[in-house]
Amino acid sequence: MKNSLQNALCALDALERNARTESPMHRLDARAKLLATTVYLVTMLSVPLPQLSEILLYALFPMATATLGGMRLGPLLRRSLAVLPFVALIGIFNLLYDRTPALRIGPLTVTEGGIEFAAILLRGILSMAALLVLIGTTGFYALCRAMQQSGIPRFLTVQLLFVYRYLRVLLEEALAMSRACDARSFGRKHPALRVWGTLVGQLLLRTFDRAEQIHRAMLARGFTGRIPDCTAGKPRWRRADTAFLTGWSLALIAARWSYPVETLTRLFR
Amino acid sequence: MSHHYLQFDRVSYRYPGGREALRDVSLRITHGEKVALVGANGTGKSTLLLLAAGLLLPTDGEVSVGGIGLTPRTLPIVRQTVGLVFQNPDHQLFMPTVEEDVAFGPANMGLTPEEIEARVTAALESVGALHLRKESPCRLSGGQKRSAAIATVLAMEPSVLVLDEPTSDLDPRARRQTLELLKRFSHTMLVATHDMEMARELCPRMIVLRDGEIAADGATETLFRDTDLLDACGLEPPCRMR
Repeated sequence: MKNSLQNALCALDALERNARTESPMHRLDARAKLLATTVYLVTMLSVPLPQLSEILLYALFPMATATLGGMRLGPLLRRSLAVLPFVALIGIFNLLYDRTPALRIGPLTVTEGGIEFAAILLRGILSMAALLVLIGTTGFYALCRAMQQSGIPRFLTVQLLFVYRYLRVLLEEALAMSRACDARSFGRKHPALRVWGTLVGQLLLRTFDRAEQIHRAMLARGFTGRIPDCTAGKPRWRRADTAFLTGWSLALIAARWSYPVETLTRLFR
Repeated sequence: MSHHYLQFDRVSYRYPGGREALRDVSLRITHGEKVALVGANGTGKSTLLLLAAGLLLPTDGEVSVGGIGLTPRTLPIVRQTVGLVFQNPDHQLFMPTVEEDVAFGPANMGLTPEEIEARVTAALESVGALHLRKESPCRLSGGQKRSAAIATVLAMEPSVLVLDEPTSDLDPRARRQTLELLKRFSHTMLVATHDMEMARELCPRMIVLRDGEIAADGATETLFRDTDLLDACGLEPPCRMR
């Protein structure tokens, strides 16, 4: 457990570290990236499930933005796979209930439910990848601020920021407790079941106490529920932001309505 | 403006659980004074600091800063006037980079980006941490975190600095650097500490707390010679005075 906690903390660190590097993607206004990603998610998620090849085409957006933002595609894909268990749980029913044969690959019959299941998994991975690129090239704080500037209600953006911050506090406290537990477990891999309840309770109390301290520190420095702009001197909305947002939005909307893969396949048949 | 810059008038504080942390505390601190706040664990030092910084409201009595009484309405101005440095810098530093953390206070004050930038640079320079501005607070050493935490408060240009155990968990060199840094400041200062050597070196005046009440208030050197008082309050004089 200790290793997975440590890995999760390192992954959060890596994402935030990446957000502080320099690249054409990083230089873009957070709002431009946020809106382009929103357009991406809406168009990609609205492609009908049987159109698996059309959904696959949408992999271009996270791949292009990640490359532009200096993020390596391998680790990005690995982290995006974390969403699989959750989306698999949603899509499994398509696999079980829709058994209409769709195509044959040798002796193998692929059902329509199978294609839809694959499409749901793909949608999940692509959504996660796009969000990771957005956070990794913007930073979570700047992202929440961009949401606030884009008109998303303040209570939502502040809650989101606090959840993200709380996630880190939770991981740090869990890691500290896990180490303290290991130090007195003399080689036992997991604590006894009856200890788990106490540990979880203690973890909640400790994280609550720490979160309260952090909130006090924010109040002491004038926090009033509005996310302030702490990035003094950073450029405002530029022509490149307009070009990025317009270019991607048009391309994504066009791809959504014209089914390019299907059209090309028909042309070459 | 009041001559007594930070004033507690018969202040009591009871936590929601019912525990009374402070009872009938009255104290006056004038402009530019450096005061040490000492006492055994659980005597109410941190509560007193939270009240001074406007993070708690007294259940009884009155707290005033620069002649402004502490009420829900005056909280923002009191918090701007009194800068609180927390005991644990991990509680104080919550932004992705040191630079953004230091800018958090000034940004909340509604300053322009240029003013924020100037304040961030000045605050980090004054604690010798300008080279850390792009670093993540998680990656700093204990001493560096402490310096960054002090910078986050200095950037708001407070009149009063309130510090909770500023030298705890520091190695000897980092402790000495923090002490030298605090000596350079001309702010009115209230420092809660168990570091008696620091109290003697930094603060000419000392307030001793016992069970949520003020047991003594006077010159630091004099109080450190009162062994009966120190004994009764569970304290020890600094090594050099033993």
